[in-house]
Amino acid sequence: MKILPYGNNALLIQFSEEIDPGISNQVIALYHALKRTGQFKYLIPAYQSLTAAFDSDQLKFTEAQKLAEEHLAILSQEIYEPHHLVIPVCYEPEYAPDLEAVEQITKLTAKKVIELHCSTTYHVYMLGFLAGFPYLGSTPKALHCPRKKEPRAKVPAGSVGLAGMQTGIYPAEAPGGWQLIGRTPLALFNPEIMPPNFLHPGDLVEFRAISKDEFKLIKIKVEAGIYKPEYKHG
Amino acid sequence: MGSLILHFQKTGLYTSIQDGGRYGVQHLGIPIGGAMDQEAMRNANYLVGNNPDDPVIEMTIQGAEIKIEGGGQIALAGGYFKGTLNEQPLPFYRTITVKDGDIIRIGNVIFGTRTYLAVRGTIAEEKWLGSHSAVNIYMESFGLESHFPNGRMVEYQTPPPIEKRLIERAKHPIHAECAIVRTTSGPDFEKFPIEVVQEFYEKIFTVSNKYNRMGYKLNEALGSFTSNKESISSGILPGTIQVTNEGKPIILMRDAQTTGGYPRIANVVEEDIDLVAQMKQGNELKFILQGKNDQ
Repeated sequence: MKILPYGNNALLIQFSEEIDPGISNQVIALYHALKRTGQFKYLIPAYQSLTAAFDSDQLKFTEAQKLAEEHLAILSQEIYEPHHLVIPVCYEPEYAPDLEAVEQITKLTAKKVIELHCSTTYHVYMLGFLAGFPYLGSTPKALHCPRKKEPRAKVPAGSVGLAGMQTGIYPAEAPGGWQLIGRTPLALFNPEIMPPNFLHPGDLVEFRAISKDEFKLIKIKVEAGIYKPEYKHG
Repeated sequence: MGSLILHFQKTGLYTSIQDGGRYGVQHLGIPIGGAMDQEAMRNANYLVGNNPDDPVIEMTIQGAEIKIEGGGQIALAGGYFKGTLNEQPLPFYRTITVKDGDIIRIGNVIFGTRTYLAVRGTIAEEKWLGSHSAVNIYMESFGLESHFPNGRMVEYQTPPPIEKRLIERAKHPIHAECAIVRTTSGPDFEKFPIEVVQEFYEKIFTVSNKYNRMGYKLNEALGSFTSNKESISSGILPGTIQVTNEGKPIILMRDAQTTGGYPRIANVVEEDIDLVAQMKQGNELKFILQGKNDQ
């Protein structure tokens, strides 16, 4: 664990350099603890680091560092009660432009790729890249695949992709290089509601394969604002 | 209270509303945004008696043509652009009184890259997550506005006028085509071999054609840099300088994404982000390392 100065008015708190849900939960617990102090201007929890920016007129680097150290010493993981959500995904060819490429890379059939993707509970490590884009991990080893060599100029909103040991969901149309294997009808980010993000760091996610008809039905519910999230428990 | 409407007849290149920034939502992946040149924003607001972080109109490289409806006070600060108010030369760095039907034409940039138009009063627009700043282009697909369309109107409630103000020329920032940019060491500084660090602080870099509100990519590669495997994504601040796999530095700016995986060699000090914001393609910059004791 290291606390480094980051620019003129931020700290970077780095946990050990690996991708692991236990480490991520420490980052998330520290994020919530420091947020509660009300002393930080903004905080960015990532895989194994927390960026904590402060107003240098209000707080000196050494004071910010002391605050972080104090909260690290009494870190409790009960601060955030994660949700366990089920995200419906349609893996039909028209929504899965890279499924064939993934079959070739992984030497698995499409059916097996979908089965593996749906059989894992993923941890939400962070939101980044685009507003509300969740970085989920880890995928089963057999599904690991590199990003595309040539990123797409436009990835449609809702696309579910693979990159390395991660899987993620594009909340909006954007350029991107992840291998697209399906699409969800859910809106992962809605600027008109508070909070606008559907997932939070620390949440647990599972995918459920749906037909094109169910995709359309859920999409109508989402657009009408009557969609109810599927929780794994309760 | 009166009112003033800026009626954008022609919008210019990347005209948008910007303020001090959208803080406290970066954990959702939302960029900070805000005026690229914060000092210019504060100067423009000072000249009309607004709060320093109030929303202003940011114009880039090519300005807008605006018809005034109602009346009040306005001011321009930042990069110097060719411009007219009712066919007369448009002054910068001073309070200007405008009336109904006035036409402001802001043309091409002469010095710098971005200029800021402030209107005395309160903008009649809704905030989103605590800020008036326009979002970056990737968020347009959420139905949020990034840059202005032609015909856009921006309304202000205008309090009584203030006594006119001006900022003397000696106090205007200089927007030269070459600049020395102060940095502090980045969080991944220790991971770079000393040859790379040495080269980074010796080379003169030029701004490439890929420069915008998200970042400034520089043309020159660090020859001694060999990319190791991708690092684990971590937080990004405006002013963070990353080195890409091809060894080219990128200076992340106000609309940058909140996380990234390239190693972070240095951070531009807060005040000098404004300086970078006024640079454009072909401009030269040299980085210097500021010790912690100088802060």
